[in-house]
Parts: sequence; C-alpha cells; structure tokens
Amino acid sequence: MSKYLLFLSLFAGFIMAPFVGEAPITLAGLFDPNSLEFRIFTELRLPRIFLAFFTGLILALGGLIFQTLFRNALMTPYTLGVSSGAVLGAGIAIKLGLAVSFLGINTTVLFGSTGALLTVVLLLFLARFLHKAEHESLLLLGIALSFFYTSALTVLFFLSSYVETHQILRFTMGSLSIIGFDTALIAFVLALVLFTYIYFQRFALQIISISDEQARLKGINTKKALYSLLGISSVAVGIMVSIVGPIGFVGLVVPHMVKKIYQKSLITLITPIALFGGFFLLACDTLSRAISSGSEIPIGVVTAFIGGPFFIYLILTRKKH
Amino acid sequence: MHIKIDHLHCSYEKNQIINDLCLEIKSQGHLTVLGANGSGKSTFAKAMSGLLTFEGKISFNQQNIATLSTNDKAKSIAYIPSKLESFDSFTTVEDFVLMGRFPHKEPFRDYSDKDYEKVADILEELSLTHLASNSLHQLSSGQQQLTLIAQALAQESQIIIFDEPTSNLDPKNALFFSKLLKSLQTTHTTILITHDLNLAFHIKGSLLFLARQKNHYFESSNEFFTQENLSKLYQAPFTLQTRSPGLAYE
Repeated sequence: MSKYLLFLSLFAGFIMAPFVGEAPITLAGLFDPNSLEFRIFTELRLPRIFLAFFTGLILALGGLIFQTLFRNALMTPYTLGVSSGAVLGAGIAIKLGLAVSFLGINTTVLFGSTGALLTVVLLLFLARFLHKAEHESLLLLGIALSFFYTSALTVLFFLSSYVETHQILRFTMGSLSIIGFDTALIAFVLALVLFTYIYFQRFALQIISISDEQARLKGINTKKALYSLLGISSVAVGIMVSIVGPIGFVGLVVPHMVKKIYQKSLITLITPIALFGGFFLLACDTLSRAISSGSEIPIGVVTAFIGGPFFIYLILTRKKH
Repeated sequence: MHIKIDHLHCSYEKNQIINDLCLEIKSQGHLTVLGANGSGKSTFAKAMSGLLTFEGKISFNQQNIATLSTNDKAKSIAYIPSKLESFDSFTTVEDFVLMGRFPHKEPFRDYSDKDYEKVADILEELSLTHLASNSLHQLSSGQQQLTLIAQALAQESQIIIFDEPTSNLDPKNALFFSKLLKSLQTTHTTILITHDLNLAFHIKGSLLFLARQKNHYFESSNEFFTQENLSKLYQAPFTLQTRSPGLAYE
C-alpha cells in the first residue's frame, strides 16, 4: 500500500514541479496564451520536467542493466566510466567546434555516444584478461578509465580557448535547462526503446541474474545478451550524457532503493525502477531550482551530493558472497 | 536418449583434464562417474552440457551436439551443479524452479499456467511446497540442492546429469534421492557424479572412473566394486567387510 502512496506523492510532485522556479507562474497567466508566464511554462518548464523525467528513467534503467548483467550492485554506467567516456567524447566535439546538426542529432551527441560505446568495448576487452570471479577488478578498471578520461579532459581544457573551456566546464556540470520540446522528445524515444527492449528480455535477464552458468544451461546465448544489452544501454546513456552532461549516481541509487522498498529481485522491478528513476531526477532538478536564486545549482552536483554518500554506504554494508 | 562420446579431450588452462574418452550410454541407460578430486568429473559434465569447449565428438541420438541450437541443447540435457551461486537475494524457490521452463517458453510470452502447474507438481513431489515463496538465500544447502534438482526436472530434458547431488543431503533426503534417481531411470538417461560409494554401489548401470592418465570404464558397476579396484584407483586402503554405519540404499 505504501508503494502506491509513494508513487501518488511522486506523481503529485510531477504536477507541481513546473510551478517551481525563479519566475512565479499564476493560474491566470497560464490561461493567457500571450502572457510571458504562459511562454515560460510551455517552452521552458514543461519541456524541462519531461526531459528530467525521461533522463532519470534512462539512467536508472542503465543502472539496472549493468547491475544485472555483471551481478554486482556497484556496477553502473557511471561507476564503470561509461559516462566519463561520453563526457570526453562530447568535450572533444565542443573543442573541435563541430556543431553540425542532423535530425536533432549533432556531433556532440554522436561523439558522446561513441565515447560511451567505446568505453564498454574497452572494458569488455580488458575483462577478458581478468579471472572470472573478479568482478571487483572490473570496477577498478572502470575507475582507472575514469581517471584517464579526466586527465584527457584536462588536456582538452589546456588546449582550448577561454570560451571553449567555459563551454566544456558548464557541460561537465550537467544542466537540464532547454528551450522547446525537441530534446525532451529524443529522451522520450530513447526511454521507450530502452524500456521495451529490457522488458522483452526480462525472462532471460532473470536467469542471467542468477549466474552465467545457469543462463547457458537454459539455452540462453549469454554473450549475445551481454553485448546487445550493454550496447543499447550504453548508447542510450551516452546520448543523454552528451545532451545534459554527466549526471551521476542515479543508476546506483534508484535500483537499490526500489529493491529495498519492494523486497523483490531487481529484474522483476523494471517498471517501478523506470518510474522511480524519472521521479528521482525530476525531484533533484526541482530541488536545484527551488533552493537557489539567480543561477541554479548544476543538477549533477545535486545527484552527486545524494549519490556520493549513498555509494559509500553501499560499499560499507555489502555482503560478502 | 542415446549418448555417444568419441575421443573426447578437454583441457582447462592448458592442462589436459580429460584424455581420449570414448563411451556410449544407451537410451534410458545410466552412467556413474567416479574419480578423485580434480580428476575431471565436473569438466566431463560441463562438456556434455555445452558449458565448455572440447575436442572430439558428442552425439545425442546420432546428432552431433555441436550442431544443436542452444535451446535444443537445453531441451535435451539438464545439468545439476553441486551448488548454487546467485547474486540476487530475492529470487524465490518457485521463480527459480520456473526458470527450468525457459527453454519451453514461447519467446516474448510470460510463463503459461501449464508451466506453473508443472512447477507446483514438482515442488510437491520433492516436498518443497512449503518453501515455494522463500528466497534462495534462506535455504539450507540441502534444500538448495533439492531446489536445483527441482529446476532440472521442470526442464523436462531426456538426459540429466547430477553433480554430487547428495553431498549436502541428510540421510533421509539422500535415501529419497536414490529412490527418485531409480524412478527417473525408467524414463531418462541419467549420469551420476559422486563420491558417495555406498550410493554408487546401489545404482545399477555402467561406471566410469576418471583419472588423469587413464579412463577406466566398466560395463556394469558391479565389476568395479572390488577391494582391489577401489584401493588401486582411489590410492587409499578400502575394506568391503565393514561394521561402520552406511545408509541402507535399496
């Protein structure tokens, strides 16, 4: 019952979110299509809450997929360096000034998603040299890659002009402020594709979450499942990261919290995790707009302030297998 | 299902584990596999069930398993590992046994009512019904072993490999298992890997003793159980006249 109450209150938050912010929105203004309030509401606030919702959904599902495939609660696109790969890719695109746009897909997004995908390929290649049971080592590899990407980004700053540096720096802080529905639409389509794909693979994923051996004994091509699911989730996360910047820890925090609430196995909770991920990022974004006046706190900072301590908590309370 | 193994070689990290193994098991036949620790018993089972790559040829009913799809392989053979490893702490016994129905499930569809009925029957047969909604992590190792057996039965494969099935079972459950195995033998081709010589002695069929240098095959398990064979192959002293307690398998 408390679950429904939770989602009801989250939904209420969803309704209220567009009214929070610097400029107050009155009901009278809302019904006057020529007012400034109406334009702020429809062109800034509404697209933004949809973007936040679908981005959160994608990041949470990305976490779910990584945790299930690697059978480890600490594995997410963020902790394994996939997001950092996307940031570096996007940073390079910004530095090169390649702002060619085609059907809403610009070079930043293209470079960013390629960076994410290449990182996963690199991780899988490096994982072949690890002993099977050493999943923690994969996490260390991801962290090592993140360090490397950060250094590469610093080199990029060094080579960039003052304006480019500022652009890249703003990007790395993450922002959900957009104008118009184009970006929110991309997020919606990506979320839909990712959700549908995971949903149809849920029975196979359920067995994969037990063990690789069990999955193969039940006739599942585990390599194919691993590559396709990691590929699609990395590209989705990579695209979102190159649009809104790195927003960390959503994929770590959300699946864990939903699992705690429902007391069920992760892969049976695809829908709640997706919804809760959306609401979570929306709440963080609303918070960032509510507590600051003048300029808002970057969204990545808000999720990191929640997610960082949570990551430490997860490490400290882990069960040894 | 008839099994034929031709010149099977398996190696693990450059160590030759199984060397030139040839044997046949008739349909509804039985093979007991014995051997010291590290002699390749589990390697043999994993090669059979498609978990390991190998050299040589294994055929089920004259069909080379290398040509079988992964799904058809799962429908032909079920391997019951000796212990259960799982990351997810909330998977229930019922969910786990239901996974045995996966190879028979239609793609993109939910498990059918028939699948659920099948699982309920098997849980009943193995006296696991009262544990159906418990999570795997709440089970004792013996209960986990029975759950693994339940899942393999749900898979309805014609060949079943048991890898040390009685290692965690109490005497009552071990006795129950031996009865179950005997009843399965009338309909399935079974392979039993064990260190429980008392159990092996009471299961009729052929017997394979694996050793790194040489494979010893006995057409009938009776031929194996002599004091001389046991002491020589296990490299430990044995006696067949014993007053130490042994479970009275029938």
